[in-house]
Amino acid sequence: MILEPFWQALQDSSVGQFVASSTWAFPTFETLHVISFVTVLGSLAVMDFRMLGLTATDYPLTKVSQDTLRVTWIAFVFSAIFGTLLFMSNATNYVNNPYFIRKMVCMALAGVNMLVFEFITWRNVKKWDTGAVIPVAVKLAASLSIILWVLVVFFGRTVGFTLGIFNM
Amino acid sequence: MPSFGDILFAFTGWLRTTFLTDFSLWLSGTSFSLWLQTHFWVIPTLQSIHILSIGALFGSAVMMDMRIYGIAGSSRSMAQTTQRYWPWIWWSFLILLVTGVLLTVAEPVRELINPIFWIKMALLPIAVVLNFLFQAAISRNTASWDAKSAGHTAIRLGAAGLIILWIAIMFCGRWIAYAPT
Repeated sequence: MILEPFWQALQDSSVGQFVASSTWAFPTFETLHVISFVTVLGSLAVMDFRMLGLTATDYPLTKVSQDTLRVTWIAFVFSAIFGTLLFMSNATNYVNNPYFIRKMVCMALAGVNMLVFEFITWRNVKKWDTGAVIPVAVKLAASLSIILWVLVVFFGRTVGFTLGIFNM
Repeated sequence: MPSFGDILFAFTGWLRTTFLTDFSLWLSGTSFSLWLQTHFWVIPTLQSIHILSIGALFGSAVMMDMRIYGIAGSSRSMAQTTQRYWPWIWWSFLILLVTGVLLTVAEPVRELINPIFWIKMALLPIAVVLNFLFQAAISRNTASWDAKSAGHTAIRLGAAGLIILWIAIMFCGRWIAYAPT
């Protein structure tokens, strides 16, 4: 794996060593990672299903976005912080795990999907803010979001079962 | 004074003396359990569905509570908000129950001889009953709520209590993997 010394240094850092050796740190941070992450998923789903026109089509998308976005971002920040702490406990092993890599790739793709939606598709939101007639680009963004985040969950869970297998 | 860990150890020790030991050993030998155990992808897939359903349930509860506390969604009435989210909460709960039962059949000893699993199972019915009471209290008050959202302290407390309960249940769910055995 590239940057091997960097991952090793992360793992050898005092934070990495603490998470790895403490009896309570890893399970606790993992639980907080899961709780914040399911909050990301739930709030994203509210937005995505609305974008697909499956729920609350009489309620403007701009409003749904306002209602959910803060929750999504705050929960995401917590999820990322705890995820990073977990990663640091065993960084060299995680970067060699194909499911971990797939999880990161899916998250990156979800990020790109979100940026495209936010900066290109969203510009003419006024035209489809309310009602069940929703452009294909919006539905596509929502579908991609759902598929990618489901894969993130699946790959994330699989990492827990395969961590020792792909050791260098 | 015994630590919490000691209490959990003692709990596990006691669980081993009950019929649950024989039952979980019998269950893990059934052909359905063996099928679940020997197909590697089954358990991660069931767990992923379980987690996605928690996301739907907990996310819906958070959205509803934000409306109750006036943080978000205030341009919709209380009735509209609750009608939107109750089905998501109960359908997710049903899927959680089904996948949870399947996961227990797949790994009977890990779950049934586990103090944290039983703490989770004790919290679940409390959450379900509280959720019913909470739902009834809200539907009785939707009209007066939309006229004037002040007051309703019991509903606000119920909302906060349920969120804390769901968080505690998620904590137990993850800590099942780390219970002292």
